[in-house]
Amino acid sequence: MIKTLYRTWLEFTGWLLCLVWWLFWLQGQVSWWEPCVLWVMFMVLYFLTRQLGFDAGAIPFVAVLLLIGWVFLARLNPTWATAQTWGALVGCVGYVLGLWIGRRQPAYPLAWAVSALGLVVITTLFGISVGGARAWITLFGQRFQPVELARIFLIIYLAQYFVGGRSKWELAIVLGGFFVCLAWQRDLGPALLVFFVFCWMSLHWKFTWTKLFAYLGVTAAGFFVAYQWFPHLRTRAIAWLWPWDYLDSKGYQVLQGLFALRSGGIAGQGLGGGLVHVIPNVHTDYLFAVIGEELGILGTFSLLVVYLSLAFWALRLVHSIQDRCLRMTGLGLTLLLHLQVFLVVGGILRLVPFTGMTLPFVSYGSTSLVAQLTMLGMVTGLGGRKGGSLDA
Amino acid sequence: MRKTFIVLVLMYGVIFGSLFYWQLCGDLHNHPANPRYYAMFKTDRGVIFDRSGIPLATSMEDGEVYTRRYAATSLSHVLGYFHQRYGMTGLERLYHEDLSMGRSMITTLDLGLQKTAEDAMQGKTGAIVVVRPATGEILALVSSPMVDGNVLDDNWPDYLVDKRSPFMNRVTHGLYPPGSVVKPIVYAAALQDGLVDDKQVWQDDGVLILQNRTISNSGGRAHGRITTDEALALSSNVVFAQLAIALGDRLLDAYELFGLGHEIRFELQSLGGFVPAKVASDYDAAQLGIGQGSILVTPLQMALVASSIANGGEMMQPYVVQELRGGLKMRQITRPRVAGQVMPSSIARDLQEAMVLAAREGTAQSRVSGGVSYGGKTGTAQTGHGGDHAWFIGFAPAESPTVAVAVLVEQGGSGSEVAVPIGVTVLREALGIDE
Repeated sequence: MIKTLYRTWLEFTGWLLCLVWWLFWLQGQVSWWEPCVLWVMFMVLYFLTRQLGFDAGAIPFVAVLLLIGWVFLARLNPTWATAQTWGALVGCVGYVLGLWIGRRQPAYPLAWAVSALGLVVITTLFGISVGGARAWITLFGQRFQPVELARIFLIIYLAQYFVGGRSKWELAIVLGGFFVCLAWQRDLGPALLVFFVFCWMSLHWKFTWTKLFAYLGVTAAGFFVAYQWFPHLRTRAIAWLWPWDYLDSKGYQVLQGLFALRSGGIAGQGLGGGLVHVIPNVHTDYLFAVIGEELGILGTFSLLVVYLSLAFWALRLVHSIQDRCLRMTGLGLTLLLHLQVFLVVGGILRLVPFTGMTLPFVSYGSTSLVAQLTMLGMVTGLGGRKGGSLDA
Repeated sequence: MRKTFIVLVLMYGVIFGSLFYWQLCGDLHNHPANPRYYAMFKTDRGVIFDRSGIPLATSMEDGEVYTRRYAATSLSHVLGYFHQRYGMTGLERLYHEDLSMGRSMITTLDLGLQKTAEDAMQGKTGAIVVVRPATGEILALVSSPMVDGNVLDDNWPDYLVDKRSPFMNRVTHGLYPPGSVVKPIVYAAALQDGLVDDKQVWQDDGVLILQNRTISNSGGRAHGRITTDEALALSSNVVFAQLAIALGDRLLDAYELFGLGHEIRFELQSLGGFVPAKVASDYDAAQLGIGQGSILVTPLQMALVASSIANGGEMMQPYVVQELRGGLKMRQITRPRVAGQVMPSSIARDLQEAMVLAAREGTAQSRVSGGVSYGGKTGTAQTGHGGDHAWFIGFAPAESPTVAVAVLVEQGGSGSEVAVPIGVTVLREALGIDE
């Protein structure tokens, strides 16, 4: 064990030193202690996870993702990097909590559903609007996005819905309420994500072609209705389909992202070499395009390979879970992360309409980071402890 | 779970595919909506300096954009220009990446000499290039007419219709018959083959008859009994035609050895000119031996011929970028490189003596020498259409030369009358430059 630890952390330390050195080379004012704090944090999490007997295999991947994100945020604006560091530290608590919750999900599905709905309803009523979506709540002077937590709760509910055979009406009310609230907030990214995860879980639970086509039909109909009813979604659709006709307005962000990616080419312009501040919301929505411009296709490929490795790790772990409910939860949480990656990167690449979510672990966003680390903790926790009964 | 993973892999595969497309394919760089194209005009750009640290090209802030200012008009054929509407050329384009990163460039040029050369052309069409023989540094490079990088907006329409094609860099891209300036090469080849020695005496009757055709000296002058050195100094076609006939195909090998007919390794792109593969007849050999017929050269090539004679037979690779420094990259310094030993140093010494004789008593004498001791060779190349091209190649000082020059004036007339004064003026100024 010492040997594995030694190797993993040596590699990781090398990565870290390279990144930090590179960053210093660019801008001297970066506070050097932040990546060190992150490093110590991941070190502690890794040791803790292993000591508790859980599978700590995901930590190095997540550490790499988070540090790459941190470096790019520091390169864009050191304030964002600092906020990200604090987000990661809070997320650390979330991770440990997730480990603890993992196998202890109380069998009250409705409690999860009600909490999820409660969070979005509160946001709808008291939320403030940032960047077009009224998705933010201010508490004790801190702004956060309740929907990031709400969707985790919703996944737990969904898992229990499938396994427990709960009534369809109840599901319709919960999901319907969730979607209506999000539509009201004009924050349809998470709604789309949860819908896709639901479809996938449902197909995984019992696959029929009818269901698949039904879901595809609902998706298409949803797009059509959204296009007709929501002007800002129409804007998104136009930016997706015909950005070249709206260079300076609707298509601006998408095109600037593509220009940035193309400018990256194979090896990129080098850290600090990109023309990045022309992209609106670059630190939350478009950090991936910055990575593409400055590290090139080698950087973006590597980043996606890290995500794919994370998916492999998570699905292998989930596969080993015997309990059907926990298994569905694990699957749901994994899909939540990777479908989000697909929607974000696919949005930048014009594969799907842009939904304005964060790139997990990489983009700026403290709430998102805390939620992602909590999810990671939960999946690790679901995997169970070595030596312990798998059906604890 | 396996199926889930496979579907996820497929989804990531789709992303990989479109990343491949968007990051590596398609021409988005110059799209009008891409701010990267205009960004380079909105940021400061590295300064280009001359050899003693005088700025040659600087970026001046002008509202939102920076405009490039050049210290001399003639620099546009070396440094090129950098303009928001007309793009970039020359070193500005070749080193765009470095310059746009704020790196500064130190060139081997000397601004004073560059301006002297520019003035010496007096608006004539032609080219001047000055080389440091020991290193290959280009001290000045002038091609006339010029493009003024400072006022492209005003003059562009005129440049486009100018029949003398000001955009063309005549030093690197002008192809001319060399005329008598190739005689030193013929002489070197003959010496090396042992066909001749410098004290050998020839009978020059002013005309050489070859199968019903004649090769005659300039103006048909008969020089009488002359040594080979004197034949070079007086530019005797009769003597050199005979040497060329004796050399035959080896003459063409000598031309190639001296870099004629080949593209020269140089930062700026240049043409190789033309040297035929075989000598067709004695008359053809005689023509080639006096720099006529099918041979074509660039002024840069002739400057290197002069330079290698001045450098004891060792031809150096020419270069103009001395150093790149600043920015995030390492300092990059150009070291002088030998292109080849084109003749033994003893023969180079003989040629130097003959060319000094030409400058003292022969065709390369100057009315404006002003105390410069130099060696040189003139050329008056017949063009077959309009006036003759005036050539001069030379070096100074006569003993242990430190600069070499090539001057060409398109259809300028006699080399002695037109090119020599320009060359001597430039050599005199060049002698004042520190090594």
